Amino acid sequence: MRRMLLKRCLFGLVTLLVVSFVVFLATQALPGDAARAILGREATPERLAALREQLNLEGSLPSQYLNWLGSLLQFDLGTSLAAKQPVTGMIGPTLVNSSVLMLSAAVVATPLAIVIGTWSALKKDSAVDHATGIVTLVLAALPEFVVGILLVLLLSTGLFHLLPAVYVGTPGQQVWNDPAQLVLPALTLVLAVLPYIVRIMRATMLEVLDSEYVQQARLKGVPERTVIIRHALPNAVGPVAQVIALQLAWLVGGVVIVEYLFRFPGVGFQLIDAVANRDLPLVQALVLAIALFYVVVNLLADVVTLAANPKVRTAR
Amino acid sequence: MIFGPSRRQIRGVVAVAAAAAMLLASTACSPGTASTDGAQDSGTPQAGGTLRVGIVGGSAKDSLDAHSPVTHPDEARVIQLYDTLATYDADHQLEMALAEDITPSEDATTWTVTLREGLKFSDGSPIRAEDVVFTFRRITDPADPKSGAAGLALLDRDRLAATDARTVTFPFTKPLATFPDAVAQYSNGIVPEGYDPTAPVGSGPFMLQSFDPGSQSTFVRNPHYWRAEQPYLDEITIIDFPDDTARVNALLGGQVDAIDQLPLSQIEVIKANPNLRVLESETGSWIPFTMRIDQAPFDDPRVREAFRLMVDREEMVQQVLGGHGTVGNDMYGRFDPCYPDDIPQRTQDIDRAKELLAEAGQSDLTVELVTSPVAAGLVEAAQVFAEQAKEAGVTVDVRKVDPGEFYGDQYLQWTFAQDFWFTRDYLPQTAAGSVEGAPYNETHWSNPEWAALVEEASATVDEEARCDLIAQAQQIEYDLGGYIIWGFPNSVDAHTAAVQGLVPDKSGIPLTSFGFRSVWLNN
Repeated sequence: MRRMLLKRCLFGLVTLLVVSFVVFLATQALPGDAARAILGREATPERLAALREQLNLEGSLPSQYLNWLGSLLQFDLGTSLAAKQPVTGMIGPTLVNSSVLMLSAAVVATPLAIVIGTWSALKKDSAVDHATGIVTLVLAALPEFVVGILLVLLLSTGLFHLLPAVYVGTPGQQVWNDPAQLVLPALTLVLAVLPYIVRIMRATMLEVLDSEYVQQARLKGVPERTVIIRHALPNAVGPVAQVIALQLAWLVGGVVIVEYLFRFPGVGFQLIDAVANRDLPLVQALVLAIALFYVVVNLLADVVTLAANPKVRTAR
Repeated sequence: MIFGPSRRQIRGVVAVAAAAAMLLASTACSPGTASTDGAQDSGTPQAGGTLRVGIVGGSAKDSLDAHSPVTHPDEARVIQLYDTLATYDADHQLEMALAEDITPSEDATTWTVTLREGLKFSDGSPIRAEDVVFTFRRITDPADPKSGAAGLALLDRDRLAATDARTVTFPFTKPLATFPDAVAQYSNGIVPEGYDPTAPVGSGPFMLQSFDPGSQSTFVRNPHYWRAEQPYLDEITIIDFPDDTARVNALLGGQVDAIDQLPLSQIEVIKANPNLRVLESETGSWIPFTMRIDQAPFDDPRVREAFRLMVDREEMVQQVLGGHGTVGNDMYGRFDPCYPDDIPQRTQDIDRAKELLAEAGQSDLTVELVTSPVAAGLVEAAQVFAEQAKEAGVTVDVRKVDPGEFYGDQYLQWTFAQDFWFTRDYLPQTAAGSVEGAPYNETHWSNPEWAALVEEASATVDEEARCDLIAQAQQIEYDLGGYIIWGFPNSVDAHTAAVQGLVPDKSGIPLTSFGFRSVWLNN
């Protein structure tokens, strides 16, 4: 198992390298450079020339990429072209903000989804089960920005005025200092990932409940609660962990739109801006951070699946 | 000239009178509270309070530099932090600001600026003639030209000098009758000698308290400000909102007190709310189609005229601006005192357009129109135009590109594209977009007869004589120019009922040209 993990880690590193290369090529393919993006309509030849010189936009493509990779190995992410500040200092707070948002969403969504899915499986074909099925299907079909807009209408600008509609922080304060402003974006993310986990949990649980070992346990006279908690759940969680991981990985992408909608100062918000500014060092750093998150989450899911399944755990 | 509120998006609005009438009507219809605080500018200004403003755009590239604002929040910040020598009022009339007098020499090659007495910067130090000299040398620095440099290209910066503590002489290499317009641009604010943009000392109504690029900035009242009583507010928070939905939601949810550029679709929503007000201003902004007169098929004036005759202007204003705008007549500078109102309004004439195209041998013409969502209404206008052109047998392929590509290497080189401009007088506008060597000559306009008229007008201090020349120049552009100016969108902002002191403004710059110094809160 250790060898397998090591192999996975190596694959992860290769993935990151490939991602950084692809992103570099993609940003180069975008028309215009940072100087043009920053000046926009006011890009007179004189001002362009002056800004290009300030930004140091010279040098061939391969040498630019290799320079960037070289400094990355020394943990130097370079300087943002638009803000003229070190990238490390800029992405630190936004990474923390996005993590807070995603973590709160994950902490709520995962247990909730497992409970609802299990419950739905236990009450198979009841009204509750059908209702869950329909609601999760509808939620899964709605894009997250639609869910977000509906939530805002419902909870802050239209029907009720319970929660702040957008995130408007106080300078010098951390995002968690005003939790009320976090509720709507986090809730949107919860509703975005919940349906998939609920549905896979229900399906897996049904399969497990039908299995011979659960029947055996029941025949032995084990109380139903114990059957579910000790025998059924652990076996269902393995496959569900994969889906949860996928959903969490998706979160980091979905968070881009949700952050934009709620004006939440996270990775997604910053990434949209950085792409618009053709701010290559910042784009690279953010995409790399997102890719790293993907790799780590998938790795963790593998570990959970392995740990939950003795057959895999002991195999060589 | 300096590019006004350049990169901001334009939003449509209604005519001032109509807007006021509708506002009154909407408040009259709404129950209860509205009648007491419904009217604009009710009562005497009260001092104190904090205004929170949501402004479109903002980015990590946000800057505090007085002379290089790049995003819309930058414009709003610059206007709070720095005052200019002169300024435009809401009715587009030039008035003196830090200067008490701006006088030309007889041939308009030298201008003398006299500062008001007792002016102070926000740190309490006096505003001296040397600071004005420093400011304009900084703007026109050849190694690092600022936004305003293009408009002051004729300034002989080496001979620019302070003659005494309050007087500065501005020498020009050619006559420049429109110098007061240049110094009234918000990106030409006065800064102290040795100015440091990262710790700005300013001459405006507010002082910087905090600045977080791409997020928000806060300001406090400048105790040394020169206008009596103003500003009324103690503090302002300017919050960046790249997303329209978030900005409107913030206003609806009470997280901000005012927003700029209300989306057209939200006007009725805001009007239906008794606690909110819509601020609509008729402006001189224009969002033209640009035809390059040096490239086929537009190198033939008959084709240009045919294209101008294909447009149903009324329908454009209705469909693109939702009726919140005014029909244009292929001429800019609509609020210039010299604007020739007597030139007949061009209207759609498909038969004549077909005739002209046939004469030019361009029947069944196909052209590509490059558009980009760089300002509200551009893409929609392109689509409506393509439909209207069909009637004349012209196929317009609308090619929508991302703003990065629009302002990319082809910027100002597209054969048939679009642009947006803000309220400016005729001569400053020509200096920006039409004269030989203008930085933004997108139609590649070049006409010796016209150029002679404009040059003469620029050197003519006498207003009547100048107007006569301008009218002739306008006529040439009306007949032969590369712009299709189909309309002038209004600007629409919104604020809560408690916000007082914002009035309709012709500049096209939102929220009364971001004039928060005259805003007060009615609590």
